[in-house]
Amino acid sequence: MNRPLYVALERALFIATLLLVPICLYSLFMVVPMEEKMGVVQRIFYFHVPAAFSAFLGVAVCALFSALYLWKRERRHDLIAHAGAELGVLFCTIVLLTGPIWARPVWGVWWTGEVRLTSTLVLWLIYVGYLVLRQNAENREQAARWSAVVAIIGALDMPIIYKSVEWWRGLHPKVLKMSGGGGLDPAMERTLLLCTTTFFLLFFYLLIQRVRAGRLQDEVEDLLHRARQAHAAGAPTPTTGADA
Amino acid sequence: MILPDIASTGGALTALLQAAGVPDAVAGAVDPAQVARGFRFLTAAYTVVWVILAIYIMSLSVRLRRLSQQVRRLKERLGI
Repeated sequence: MNRPLYVALERALFIATLLLVPICLYSLFMVVPMEEKMGVVQRIFYFHVPAAFSAFLGVAVCALFSALYLWKRERRHDLIAHAGAELGVLFCTIVLLTGPIWARPVWGVWWTGEVRLTSTLVLWLIYVGYLVLRQNAENREQAARWSAVVAIIGALDMPIIYKSVEWWRGLHPKVLKMSGGGGLDPAMERTLLLCTTTFFLLFFYLLIQRVRAGRLQDEVEDLLHRARQAHAAGAPTPTTGADA
Repeated sequence: MILPDIASTGGALTALLQAAGVPDAVAGAVDPAQVARGFRFLTAAYTVVWVILAIYIMSLSVRLRRLSQQVRRLKERLGI
């Protein structure tokens, strides 16, 4: 993508996210009706579910670009996969923390061994493992190759999480029609859609920023490599500049 | 530290919901103490979301600035 278009897209994502956040907050506090059984605490739903969708998106991006990396061995695919994994972990952390806060007043417990909860925790652990693996690999190529395999295997957990409420009876509600639930009030559905859109815009904005950080990290490593070569040829070695 | 009276806080929140146009049949039917308890959990959840996102965005921003500075300094020193 050419540079001005890339910058314009990045700015548009940032501005759209900033504009949508107050609209979301207004909608979920002032527009949506109160859920009859759970009361006000049900409003956690409008952050919990979009965060779950964003975590899925992160994992899907990571798995897709990992597969592309294994196929074509292009560095840019690995950078996007790494960014997707980090964002997947970020949003999955939000899901795993907001879920128990919602569960406590509704189910009476913070956590149960329910399949959806456990499989979501497993997904989080797999992708935390992915990030740890990358940190501990011997070189860039090894990190990319090994973590790509982990990402693809880890993504197999996604359909289990998604279908768990249909395959196993548990406490976790089936709310959305696509998950076999009874559906939502139209105002709730609109607010959920609005919040999900906002989360997705934030996701793509952060993805662009995280990929840029990856590119800069590569550039630093390449420049240091050149500096070492120059040093070997007799010139003084520069430091990373971080300590300057 | 002055702890707020849960029942009166709940009553105020219920009134706030009614003022915000939430139907009486729904907002009024809820026990104020239950509303206050719900709001505590809701506040906790929203705080978690904002704090996590803020920490990540700040750390990413610091990382980007640090890397940009490193690239600039390395280029200067290498004469690129």
